[in-house]
Amino acid sequence: MARLTIEAAGLTDAGTVRQFNEDSIVFDADLGLMVLADGMGGHRAGEVASRMATEFLLATLAAQMPAFDADDDPTPSQLAVGQSIIRANEEIFAAAQNNPAYRGMGTTLVMAVFHGQRVLLAHVGDSRIYRLRYNRLQLLTRDDSLLRDQVELGLIEVADAGGSHNRNLVTRALGIAAHVTPHLRDDEVLAGDVYLLCSDGLNDLVDDSDIELILNTLKSNLPLATHHLVQAAKDNGGHDNVSAILVRLHETAAVAAHADWWRRLLAWFRT
Amino acid sequence: MAKLVLSTEGTVVFQCFLDTERLQIGRLPTNQVVIDDPRVGAAHAAIVPVGNDHILENLHNVTGTFVNGARVDRHILQHGDVIEFGPYNLRYLNPRVSMETSLDRTMIITGLKPQTVLAPDDARPTPESLRVPTARPTRSHATNGRIVMRAGPRARNTIELDQVVMPVGVAGALAVITRRPHGFFITHVEGERMPKVNGRRIDREARQLRDGDDVEVGGETMRFKQD
Repeated sequence: MARLTIEAAGLTDAGTVRQFNEDSIVFDADLGLMVLADGMGGHRAGEVASRMATEFLLATLAAQMPAFDADDDPTPSQLAVGQSIIRANEEIFAAAQNNPAYRGMGTTLVMAVFHGQRVLLAHVGDSRIYRLRYNRLQLLTRDDSLLRDQVELGLIEVADAGGSHNRNLVTRALGIAAHVTPHLRDDEVLAGDVYLLCSDGLNDLVDDSDIELILNTLKSNLPLATHHLVQAAKDNGGHDNVSAILVRLHETAAVAAHADWWRRLLAWFRT
Repeated sequence: MAKLVLSTEGTVVFQCFLDTERLQIGRLPTNQVVIDDPRVGAAHAAIVPVGNDHILENLHNVTGTFVNGARVDRHILQHGDVIEFGPYNLRYLNPRVSMETSLDRTMIITGLKPQTVLAPDDARPTPESLRVPTARPTRSHATNGRIVMRAGPRARNTIELDQVVMPVGVAGALAVITRRPHGFFITHVEGERMPKVNGRRIDREARQLRDGDDVEVGGETMRFKQD
């Protein structure tokens, strides 16, 4: 099977209402590492928490990732990513305990770690990961949100949930307890797949059908696609910070290299 | 401000306002709301404030806690909810207009007991049918627009610009027309040659369209119309 190459683009924006951006994103297509965090907590502490999460995970995993690439075994990446998230949580929790200005801060987290033909998806809180495959958008994560639990238990009607005043209650986050259990999911990737990591400022304001349409129409230009997603959220109110990272998997590198070699050979014959 | 009203057989026996403190309900006098009935647990349930909301939490695993007839472990209280304790009803009143979506920041729920053991299928996504809808209607727009195709594969067709983005041109020479609250914009997506508006090539920036503009993208020619 041909090696897949990764293209990535990301954008984070304070939105139209808030003064500060408490979201934080980190993405590195060469490494295959994407991290997005949506911080919370008063007096801009959310900004500290989300930045601590993204920077800690990038620093910790950058050195370990080349080892994942060796084969498609998902176990090493799951262990390394799981442990890194647990340690990131401890760092943020300690900072929140030790510094009165940071008390009560926390952050959601979504991350995607691409290696070989696989991706490891991890999340805590209500930020999301979607996948566009064969032109269809699919949500791959399950929000840690009390509202989602209530809807699933049938305590609140789906129709009422859109207008519910308590839609933003997160049941799990980094930095609020000594230990956290992240959700981990291993997935096989296909050439052409587009992955979207986003904060709730996007999916709270833009319907899944519109996200799907924007990705299908603009996936050949990822920076433009991220710009359109963020713009759509802002056009619909933009009352929260909004962030998106897009990743597209190409088979083209191997194919192009092959085609190049063939063209050179033909050129050599012609001369 | 939210309020709790305790009644039995139609008679109000106790009421209190909910402030910012955690409140516990049970049989023993150590609770803030005491219900002296053998069917009620020593410490039966708690109400935890989170922002402007209150979360009810069951503390009594034998009998359980029931809201409007359904057993709950953890529940966001809604205006008018009735929590049942044996022959007693505890009514939650929070008459704030609940349809007004709170613009509050996302909040983490703290002060609750540790989460129960996770189900093995915990990582599975939420089924489509149970998806929480977006917070705002996303299809309210000031104006309508359409394009009348003049040359190209779709010549003589009129296309309503009723989507957030509409592709025009072909793969390799593609642009989109984006519908925004204050109008319609054309943006280059892919291809060496930039789209033309009224005979002039646009740059990489989005360009707002005016009623009657002629657009040319990847072999398609069209006229933009706006109401």
